[in-house]
Amino acid sequence: MIKENYIVKNIFIIIGKIGSPFTEFILSLGNITRLFINILGSLLYTFKKIPLIIKELYFSGVRSIIIISVSGLFVGMVLGLQGYNTLQRFGSVSMLGSLVAISLLRELGPVLTAILFASRAGSGMTAEIGLMKATEQLEAMNVMAIDPVKYVITPKFLGGIISVPLLAALFNICGIYGGYFVGVILLNMDSGTFWSQMHDSIIFHEDVFNGIIKSFIFGITVNLISVYQGFVAKPTAEGVSSATTKTVVNSALSVLALDYVLTALMF
Amino acid sequence: MFILTILSGINLEAKTGKITAIMGGSGCGKTTVLRLISGLIKANHGTVQVFGENINNLSSKQLSEFRTHMGMLFQFGALFTDMSVYENVAFTLKEHTNLPESIIKKIVAMKLNAVGLFGTQDMMPQELSGGMARRIALARATALDPYLMLYDEPFTGLDPISLNVAAMLIKKLGEAFNQTVILVTHDIYFMANGKIIAEGTPEEIKNTDNPLVCQFIKGEIKGPFQYKYESKMNYNEFIGI
Repeated sequence: MIKENYIVKNIFIIIGKIGSPFTEFILSLGNITRLFINILGSLLYTFKKIPLIIKELYFSGVRSIIIISVSGLFVGMVLGLQGYNTLQRFGSVSMLGSLVAISLLRELGPVLTAILFASRAGSGMTAEIGLMKATEQLEAMNVMAIDPVKYVITPKFLGGIISVPLLAALFNICGIYGGYFVGVILLNMDSGTFWSQMHDSIIFHEDVFNGIIKSFIFGITVNLISVYQGFVAKPTAEGVSSATTKTVVNSALSVLALDYVLTALMF
Repeated sequence: MFILTILSGINLEAKTGKITAIMGGSGCGKTTVLRLISGLIKANHGTVQVFGENINNLSSKQLSEFRTHMGMLFQFGALFTDMSVYENVAFTLKEHTNLPESIIKKIVAMKLNAVGLFGTQDMMPQELSGGMARRIALARATALDPYLMLYDEPFTGLDPISLNVAAMLIKKLGEAFNQTVILVTHDIYFMANGKIIAEGTPEEIKNTDNPLVCQFIKGEIKGPFQYKYESKMNYNEFIGI
């Protein structure tokens, strides 16, 4: 009898352990949705606080310019080199401009920008909010009758979602010039062919516009994850560190999964 | 489901214009009482009435309105680290009033002068000592001249001089604004295990025969108050003795 009880108890423990990640996931999904609704409800207040948004634009956007430009340049250079070698086999080197531009505008630009943004600015956002929570700054704000979601979270979120599409555009520009540098300057491809092929093959509403939509959606995802992780971080050094890691990992996975869904819907 | 009772049977009254103290050992629920009064958390049972209003029944708008008449000093100050001293003290004034910047500057100067730190306006919180940060936080908490002031262990970690200065400030500010202060007063509420176990004047508390209070006042290790956490694990078994 005692042995049977022991087995039943252990079965329940195992079921609980298997089920808890799912229930936690559902709970997080509910909490993140509530935070998003709160952010939407705070927009009116935050729009009146333009200096706060500008400050966040500077921290998350302007200070990400270097990492985004350099990464874009090298990604474009690699694309140019790989594309040139592959296209040469088929005698279609003239298509290099199109290949570089389409790859960047449709996929690499929005995806890599979002992932780089999560690593540079998103993790910083999480750490800042988490530390504010650990040092009772968010609670102090609450006691002063100022909602931290309105004053801290929403400006960061807004600054982030404005920054991501702009940074993606910068990434694309640098990437295209990277491809141009390798194809035209290093490998002596004709400059006119590079630009004219690109110009002919790019369809604005399909390639450029869909790329912008993608980076906007990725921006919402990455920034929401970043502020949420900071907001729910345990108020300890370990909790903040764990939240920062979660921001980068969850953002990268969400962006890649969303990219598949959006690509399937758009193209 | 595991339910932990933090507070029970609490019946506490803080009188207008007086300083009321809640004393007790670490983890007995003192800060929780302050968090209940400020509306940061809601009690599962019972009521918290401030200025005749039940905090639990207030809407978020009413709670915000109530909080503009309340100040709270956090244990470590909780200054906004990305703002200067001036911006910290001016924060509530800028958010809740339409006063021009020139007036706000004067009010901030007055508040800083009251805590003896006029001239630190341009300093950042990282440049302040612990005691200075606590006093700046006090200036910030009193910026809107609140009727109710809550102090969460304001003397922790202060040297004797800073402690005296802080105590004097709390008294002076309370008297100046006829504030209801919850901290240390003629009436002491002594808490243990989530319950008020003794109340009265310091003299009455000193002469009480309650063993818990006696142990606390005398600072004795042996007695009914257990400073050790009651673990469900056996220590000897855990380390293998």
